[in-house]
Amino acid sequence: MSAAPAAAGGEDAVSVGGAPGGVLGDLMRGSLDHCVKCTICETHCPVSNVTPLFPGPKYVGPQAERFRVAGEASQDASLDYCSGCGICTQVCPHGVHIAEINSQARARMKETAGVPLRDRILGRPTLAGRLGTPVAPLANATLASRPLRRVAEKVIGLHREAAMPTFAGRTFQRWARAHTPPATAARRVAFFHGCGTNYYEPRLGEMTVALLEHNGCAVEVPRQDCCGLPLQSNGLFGDARGYVRRLVARLLPYARAGTDIVGTSTSCTLMLKREAREILGMEDDADLRLVSDAVYDVCEYLVMLHERGELRTDLRPVPETVTYHAPCQQQGHGIGKPALDLLALVPELTVVETDAACCGVAGTYGLKREKYDIAMKVGADLFAQIEAAGPDTSVCDSETCRWHMAKATGVPTVHPVALLHRAAGLA
Amino acid sequence: MTGLSADVLVIGGGATGAGVAWDCALRGYDTVLVDRGDLAEGTSGRFHGLLHSGGRYVVKDPSAAHECVVENAIVRRVAADAIEDTGGLFVTPPGDDPAYGDRFLAGSAEAGMPVEEITPAAALAREPRLNPGLQRAFAVADASVDVWKLVWGLARGASEHGARVLPYHRVLALRRSGDAVTGARVRNELSGEELEIETGFTLNASGAWAAEIAGMAGVEGVHVAPGKGIMIAMNHRLVNTVINRCVMPTDGDILVPIRTVSVIGTTDIRSAHPDDLPVTQAEVDAMLDDGERLVPGFREARAMRVWAGVRPLFEDKKTGDTDSTRDVSRSHALLDHAERDGITGFLTITGGKLTTYRLMAQDTVDAMVAQRGDDRPGTTASTVLPGSSEGKHYTLGTRLRDREAHLDDDQIVCECELIGRRRLEDTMRARGTRNLDDLRRSLRLGMGPCQGGFCMYRATGLLHGIGRLDGPEAVGSLRFFLQERWKGVWPILYGDQLRQARLDDWIFQGLLDVEHLPGDDAGLPPGPDTVPDAEAAVT
Amino acid sequence: MSHDAIDVGTGVAGLTAAVRLAEGGARVLVLAKGVGSTHLTGATIDVLGNPYMGSDPFNVGEAIARLPADHPYARVGGAPAVAAALDWLRAQVADGPLEGYEYAGGLERNRLLPTAVGALKPTAMAPVTMLGGEGRDPVAVVGFRQLKDFHPALVADNLARAGIAARSIELDVAVEGRADANAQALARHFDDPAARGAVAGQLAGRMRAGERVGLPAVLGLRDPARVWRELEHRLGRPVFEIPTLPPSAPGMRLYAILRAALRRLGGRVILGAAVTGPLGAGARLDGVRAAVGRREVVHRAGEVILATGGFAAGGLVLDSRWAGREAALGLPLAGMPAAGEPRFTAGYFDEQPMARAGVAVDGELRPVGRDGAPAHANVRVVGASLAGAAPWREKSGDGISLSSGHRAAELILGAAARPAVAA
Repeated sequence: MSAAPAAAGGEDAVSVGGAPGGVLGDLMRGSLDHCVKCTICETHCPVSNVTPLFPGPKYVGPQAERFRVAGEASQDASLDYCSGCGICTQVCPHGVHIAEINSQARARMKETAGVPLRDRILGRPTLAGRLGTPVAPLANATLASRPLRRVAEKVIGLHREAAMPTFAGRTFQRWARAHTPPATAARRVAFFHGCGTNYYEPRLGEMTVALLEHNGCAVEVPRQDCCGLPLQSNGLFGDARGYVRRLVARLLPYARAGTDIVGTSTSCTLMLKREAREILGMEDDADLRLVSDAVYDVCEYLVMLHERGELRTDLRPVPETVTYHAPCQQQGHGIGKPALDLLALVPELTVVETDAACCGVAGTYGLKREKYDIAMKVGADLFAQIEAAGPDTSVCDSETCRWHMAKATGVPTVHPVALLHRAAGLA
Repeated sequence: MTGLSADVLVIGGGATGAGVAWDCALRGYDTVLVDRGDLAEGTSGRFHGLLHSGGRYVVKDPSAAHECVVENAIVRRVAADAIEDTGGLFVTPPGDDPAYGDRFLAGSAEAGMPVEEITPAAALAREPRLNPGLQRAFAVADASVDVWKLVWGLARGASEHGARVLPYHRVLALRRSGDAVTGARVRNELSGEELEIETGFTLNASGAWAAEIAGMAGVEGVHVAPGKGIMIAMNHRLVNTVINRCVMPTDGDILVPIRTVSVIGTTDIRSAHPDDLPVTQAEVDAMLDDGERLVPGFREARAMRVWAGVRPLFEDKKTGDTDSTRDVSRSHALLDHAERDGITGFLTITGGKLTTYRLMAQDTVDAMVAQRGDDRPGTTASTVLPGSSEGKHYTLGTRLRDREAHLDDDQIVCECELIGRRRLEDTMRARGTRNLDDLRRSLRLGMGPCQGGFCMYRATGLLHGIGRLDGPEAVGSLRFFLQERWKGVWPILYGDQLRQARLDDWIFQGLLDVEHLPGDDAGLPPGPDTVPDAEAAVT
Repeated sequence: MSHDAIDVGTGVAGLTAAVRLAEGGARVLVLAKGVGSTHLTGATIDVLGNPYMGSDPFNVGEAIARLPADHPYARVGGAPAVAAALDWLRAQVADGPLEGYEYAGGLERNRLLPTAVGALKPTAMAPVTMLGGEGRDPVAVVGFRQLKDFHPALVADNLARAGIAARSIELDVAVEGRADANAQALARHFDDPAARGAVAGQLAGRMRAGERVGLPAVLGLRDPARVWRELEHRLGRPVFEIPTLPPSAPGMRLYAILRAALRRLGGRVILGAAVTGPLGAGARLDGVRAAVGRREVVHRAGEVILATGGFAAGGLVLDSRWAGREAALGLPLAGMPAAGEPRFTAGYFDEQPMARAGVAVDGELRPVGRDGAPAHANVRVVGASLAGAAPWREKSGDGISLSSGHRAAELILGAAARPAVAA
């Protein structure tokens, strides 16, 4: 990776609306120079392997990018079929930032072509969360109603079969306000729980806090909002940057104090670790860099404790069979599969590691009317492996993947923390 | 030997020659155009692609600058589809004298060139890769020109008005009848057949080779100094605006975005002969340093190809013999041999720059018309070329958009340049192509970053498949292509490009074993002849 | 977490070393920028083919013995070490997840197998699905309109000039609605019983007596042995596949086999990690530093293997000032022309001055400095980053990768005196 000289001006001074700003943004684009056309990205792209509608990451990334001019309307609509899973960048042996190039190009395309209402809504889960939580039973009934879902599909393009989460009717933040942390603890951590936990899976947040406390951490839950990833995925870069800045402001005091920031959504933590810096071009934001360096995935963090001998390994047997799927964006962390290391500590637990790249949902991609079928084809291999293993539970680190997989397989799907929580006897 | 007759014979199929043929044809003359190779294989095919705003000359040569201003506006109109309206910037990087900018502004005013000084921050907002330490910046009306579209547009236009355009016809001798030049004997390089052309007037538009042709007419004392300049095409557009260094014209002071690449140029070294254009390591290093000055990180970016172009510099003996040919006059030179040498029916046009091709052509044809005593005024300033009738400029995304429309019914053969199978096969059939190297020049097949690593096997199979070549010929053509391509690559083979070359070695030699066909001895390229060392195409 | 060994690279060399180490009970972490050479090569194990070409088969073991001392084969211990590596790979494939899929061959004689331009390339060991390409029996070379990466007429034309009665057939197939399919899409097609049955049906009536059938290397990814046998059965004649442009289906099979073995043996892989430098210095490194995303991380291990793929993969780099370097650990390079000397010459097919540049190693595959002494005791270099060979010219690519990867692992296991774990 080449060094990035400092860009003149603030990030918005050099960005045009959705377009990436600064030199790093251009260096993501510039990484297309490394492409030698080897086809390795194509062979691993889950989307282009199931549909000819998407010409593949090599084509829409480094190849087409040579034909794009910033400010010109984009000429290739097929780019929109990229799911943003990021597998192409992971497997590229030459360091081409393919997924990042695609993401930036798509944002520029949507800037000129316009962003549909559906994508604006899907880009703001906290909006849905805030609206739906007080009226959770009604909201859930609406989402479950087949006729209303058909209408939604027609009107805003949300596929009728897309896996939608259930509103919990309460927020995790509320629980956290009322929760008393232990009096003493070996260390402090800040919990970056994400929208999914807050509005749909507050129980996961509770379990995470309990598990961390069980292992000697005093957990603080700062006020926080969305990380901006759904906005970024839907091409609304300006708004996404605003969300990132607000979240960073919340987490900054912890980073400054040397407190580790732990997250349960591998997508959201990846956003802070790298995507906001590379795709949104916010590398020059010193506050973001400070927070970014302090962020850990919860399994990553627990394994770090384990390596220091500070993890409680007195776990109860769980005589069950589970499958484990590492989401694409978990793989994007480049930390291996710490969930497997942790699950290996649970006596009598049989873990079947699935060997499939992507479940298909890719955040909000698989919810969309025109992409749902593709998403289901992408995930077909994974679903078949899960069904073949016949597990009691399926384990996966990312919430949107869990909802999608659970609906497709019928197998209850949980975060690794849920199993560890149970094995720790905290259930 | 067969023969043909015409009113005018134009020798040289570059921008000037094609422009002359177009002008003549429009004025109703029965015209024949010949070139020893493909059209635009000489200087035109090897320049950096810049349609000058004139800014480069405003201080040194304001009248030349003014010529550019006027012609720039005309060419944008009549050859719209060959022009990409990139705009241009003159910038003062750190270390250069900012005071030159004032002379630049003054010269611009004198030359009538539109210019606007903008802040460095505005320049960087427009082009984030520029040197952040820029001191000054000026916006001008530079553009980049696709010389193939231009030259083939001119040729097509001329043909539509009855001209005969004959590439691959080499002039062997000029015919004299007393003091008049009455035509030429040419050889069809593809068939070997010789042809006698009888004309009333012969126009020598062979640019850097003008002296050779003039000599055939018995004209003495014409010296055209070949001013060699190297250019490096960088793999992608580091900038989308033409960037000029705001100094007195020097080496490596232009960075031109043209199609998918950005071209840094150029050097200026007297060469012995227009076909002898070696690329030296020292020049390459100098260009990379010059690029680094304009765009920090240039040396980490991927250099795709290097080639040498040749400027035709008509030597006025009064300036003397210097290594740097930049001091020799850059305006064009129209030689009236009747007046100069007592030889009628013959004019030579040489020197000049591509931006003023139309003016050069017009001056030439005007002179011929005057000598013939005809009354036929020129109309090229207002006649739009075929393909440009909608007045729309070329945009980079065109090929991408066209490919998008055929994703589900065509195959991509050359991925880097987005060339589809149908187009390739159609071209092969229509042109009677017998070697892949021709396609390299015209379609830019294999001219992208992969250096043919993936597309050349496919293209070889297709060329064999349409029955044009047999097995060993096809593989021979592939080897020949690889050898030709290598010429423009090895002087800049470092970093990413070396990685590509090595991968291509693995594919061609390690996987396909192209260098060992049954029946080969040393396993090396039989292949068609080519113009020696002619690193033909600009990207 | 600390590992016994860190292996940098996921090509043939890297995966071989990792699996062999894991078999021996070592805790292995594979770090790589991405997926490696397997997907790009033909997956034939070419040991040595040039300049020892000929229509007569020749003994590769003898040819290896005649190589210079600095050639990678000499460094790994000559023909016996190469043979051991070939045996090892044969066992891995035979015991792997692809039922019935095997490699055959050895050092006793090279086999001449057709390439996608119709040349005959010598190889020591190849998948059984390809071996039918040997010999001079008549052949119908079959291609697909949808696959632009294989041209059967060209292959047949050139084979015919070698004295083999060859003709070509081009079929039209519906591949997932794609006009433009690659080898992977075709391989999926062949994995589908109905689809391959239809292909066989198209071909069956067009066969001539005594004719073999050559196809591009697309005979399935999941179950290539079954695909191949079914076709042979249905057509009643030998069928063989011919490696062509990437993506390489046989290469992907090899990758799948080695990855499955690694997973089964508890090895770890992290992709998207670029090793940027050593951890520690001196005679023994503590591990490596790597860039992952925007973060620099450290990984500790007792042994480090560099399988970074040479110049083709960016394991070795030449910068714009013509200085070469080894990108991961900064090891010294051998075989680089002196400063100011040309790195390349004008003849494309000539051996370039830089062709054999790489990391020079001792008899234990440890990188050596200018004085010939090992730079680090616990670092080994394998594969295309090694000095002393131009594998694409001499047709030794996968042979060098396989034998050096295997040898490095054996050396490490031997040094640690670990008993081999039953695979």
